[in-house]
Amino acid sequence: MNGSNNSMCVKAGGLEEKNILHIQDVYKIYGNKVVLDNVDLSVARGEFCTVVGPSGCGKSTLLRLILGQERPTKGGLFIDGCPAESAGRDRGIVYQKYSLFPHLTVLENVLLGKKLCAGIVERFRKHKTFEEEAMHFLEKVQLREHYKKYPHELSGGMQQRVAIAQAVIMNPSILLMDEPFGALDPGTRESMQVFILEIWEKTKMTIFFVTHDLEEACYLGTRIVALSQFYSDGRKNNGNKGAKIVADYPLPRKATSTMVKAQASFGELIQKIRQEGFDPKHLQHVTEFNLKHDDSFQTLTPEEAQR
Amino acid sequence: MKRFPIMLLALVLTISLIPMNEAFAKEKFKIAWSHYTGWEPWEYANHAGILKKWANKYGIDISLTLVNDYVESINQYTAGQYDGCVMTNMDALTIPSVGGIDSTALIIGDYSNGNDGIGTRGEGSVTEFTGKEVMLVQYSVSHYLLARAIDQAGKTEKDIGMKLVNVSDAEIAGLFASNPKAIAVTWNPPLMTIREAGAKIIFDSSKIPGEILDLMVVRTNAPDSLKKALIGAWYETMRVMSGKGKTADESIAYMAKIAGNTEQSFVAQLKTTAMYYTAKDAADFAKSENLKKTMEYVRTFTFERGLFGQNASSKDFIGIEFPDATVMGSKRNVKLRFTDKYMRMAAEGKI
Amino acid sequence: MGLNWFLLALPFIILTAAYLFASHMRLADNPDDKLLPPVSKMVQAIKQYAWTGDRTNGEQLMVQDTLSSLRRLVIGVGSAAIFGLLAGLNIGLFPGFKALGNSFVKFLSIIPPLAILPILFIVFGVGEVGKVMLIFLGTVFLIARDITLTVESFPREQTIKALTLGASGTQTAYQIILPQVMPRLINTVRLSLGPAWLFLIASEAIASTDGLGYRIFLVRRYLSMDLIIPLVFWITFLGFSMDLLLRKFAERKYPWYVKSGG
Repeated sequence: MNGSNNSMCVKAGGLEEKNILHIQDVYKIYGNKVVLDNVDLSVARGEFCTVVGPSGCGKSTLLRLILGQERPTKGGLFIDGCPAESAGRDRGIVYQKYSLFPHLTVLENVLLGKKLCAGIVERFRKHKTFEEEAMHFLEKVQLREHYKKYPHELSGGMQQRVAIAQAVIMNPSILLMDEPFGALDPGTRESMQVFILEIWEKTKMTIFFVTHDLEEACYLGTRIVALSQFYSDGRKNNGNKGAKIVADYPLPRKATSTMVKAQASFGELIQKIRQEGFDPKHLQHVTEFNLKHDDSFQTLTPEEAQR
Repeated sequence: MKRFPIMLLALVLTISLIPMNEAFAKEKFKIAWSHYTGWEPWEYANHAGILKKWANKYGIDISLTLVNDYVESINQYTAGQYDGCVMTNMDALTIPSVGGIDSTALIIGDYSNGNDGIGTRGEGSVTEFTGKEVMLVQYSVSHYLLARAIDQAGKTEKDIGMKLVNVSDAEIAGLFASNPKAIAVTWNPPLMTIREAGAKIIFDSSKIPGEILDLMVVRTNAPDSLKKALIGAWYETMRVMSGKGKTADESIAYMAKIAGNTEQSFVAQLKTTAMYYTAKDAADFAKSENLKKTMEYVRTFTFERGLFGQNASSKDFIGIEFPDATVMGSKRNVKLRFTDKYMRMAAEGKI
Repeated sequence: MGLNWFLLALPFIILTAAYLFASHMRLADNPDDKLLPPVSKMVQAIKQYAWTGDRTNGEQLMVQDTLSSLRRLVIGVGSAAIFGLLAGLNIGLFPGFKALGNSFVKFLSIIPPLAILPILFIVFGVGEVGKVMLIFLGTVFLIARDITLTVESFPREQTIKALTLGASGTQTAYQIILPQVMPRLINTVRLSLGPAWLFLIASEAIASTDGLGYRIFLVRRYLSMDLIIPLVFWITFLGFSMDLLLRKFAERKYPWYVKSGG
């Protein structure tokens, strides 16, 4: 359960070193059930990568592997060129719930990471500095006046804003978000989307964002990845196969206005990904996936690649 | 909700009916007893049909119940559950008499002649108890025995300044055995157990003969038929026990068995129990001046420890009547009566 | 609202009325009856017990008994709470401790403490240690079990979250989980107070020199219901006050606990 050990790891060299996140030949199998089936993904620094897919396809499993909450059955995961082992401060996380500690106030929640990383002496010496920094982040998430409240006194949207501040203050290499807005009502949800884009633009942080909402994914991301078990390949045993990345598109940088959602091209893209990722009848062969993003790559076994 | 008043009434009736047994029980009587060497004959009388025989003779029905906790048996007698109960002279004074139950010591069965004692791990006298912990059942005959031992040593409890630890009689032997510095005051059978555990018995009830009396106590207002039936059954049992031959041996064996002792150990305990096997001896003792002297000690001891309750301003609060019709204490509040009348009748064969 | 209060008070009123009625009946029969004494007698008994003191040495028995009993209770339950918290926390969080202690604690928590009372008295003596040990052993395993279950029921996300904020395993246990377990511990202690009183009174009944349980079992010897009944109320009152105090303390100190559905 130790913290980050980035600086000390033996770097693997090659492609995994260029990008902040590199995943190659990753399988996750629970008992007999294959969830992730030879997944390959590489994400560049500063990318806002959104992940979509039908429910139960293994999006959250993939996120937990990156986080270090679980280990892959097979394959390699690298953060900044280092194997991703147990959770540490190089990866920030915002869950749908349980992100905040209920026994700490808003300020204490945001301050927590700073305090945990400091030695006892430093914790007292730098107390003021830490607190000012935390208040600065609370300012950013527009919750300055609520700093004394406990999480249960905040609305769902406010809670998630605190959770974002709590993670961002630690300046992680990559910020993982697991359906962070899934429990919010549509109005709050939309304003939170605008909010996270603003944060992303200010910090240029790498974000790995899992959602089941296709529109949200297309709106937020600079890159969209679809994970799905609906595909065909050359393997004989078709009854038990897990999800692969079946589509990978770059998305245009755009204004943070939600007006973009009304544009025709936006709707077309959604339709396309919906068909490729979510339609059980639309079974593309593994060799024909639309992996359009520059960083995307695919390592198929010869058996899989058979027609 | 409609049934509620009925339930309330039932509750109130149940509680208020407790004392009314007496009024309703025409010819049925309930007697309680608990285990002690000198009281085991009652169970033998019940077992051998002697009790039933005498009850039939007087046209009544007597049921004998074992209450396996001495204090509880007296408490239940005092609360009105029983017409008679076995107890010591001291407890007869402090529990039923103070509780307003006019009671008669119908039979003086025996006195403790070594059945109660003080055991130590080396101290030779109670005067050496200063600052030490003494285990005993507080306010019991053990406490009385300790007080008398101190008294005989010419001191008071205060002079000695020991620490009394109230210990349940069920635990006292085990606690003595496990503690190398223990001092305990207790009665048989635990007394025998601590003796076996190496206790030095520095004082026992044989030094105060005739002071710890084991009685059959009945309500004074109980009819003569009950009193005579109990007397008849008891002295017939005494004759069996003290006789020679097969029946006598069988009776001892049975008592030993129900007491949970070996026959040998039971006989040993009988030796430290001064049984009044004949009604005459018991009646004579009841009439003696010694009894008055004993009761004076007992009432002084109990009053000084507050056992007469808060209403008592002096030890004269309760009246104790003796066979010669003299009363010790308040004549208006006579609650404990010693009588030789029924024992005398048995001695003269008039039962 | 008025009706609610009435319904709340009704059982108490009925019980009191039934007592007074039954007591009256018995006292009419025998004015010295000890089983159901009149209220005046109880008041007098408690007055004497509280202020006048003992006839032999003049000590103020009620204060002394109460302090002795409370001291045993607080030391016993207090040490059980500390020990149970640490054991439960480590067993619940760390697999090594779990393998080591979980089944052992489960096993020990099933032993009825009163059954081992004679052993405790023989091992620790009839003094304070034996009594405190009984209360300790009678409550510690249940507290440890409850804390273990509480810790185990924490979402794994919390631990992971703490690690991403740079916490070590120990920091997670003592700075993140422990503070969140505290209000639960207080609740568990509140529930343990019932058994703790039982053990206290049982141990004082069997061998003691003072204490409320000692007093009840001592005066039981001469059927002093006039003191026993008020003492039962006094013990109930003490128990109720301790429970209330702990509850209020938890509400003040851990305002987030109830509201966030802990």
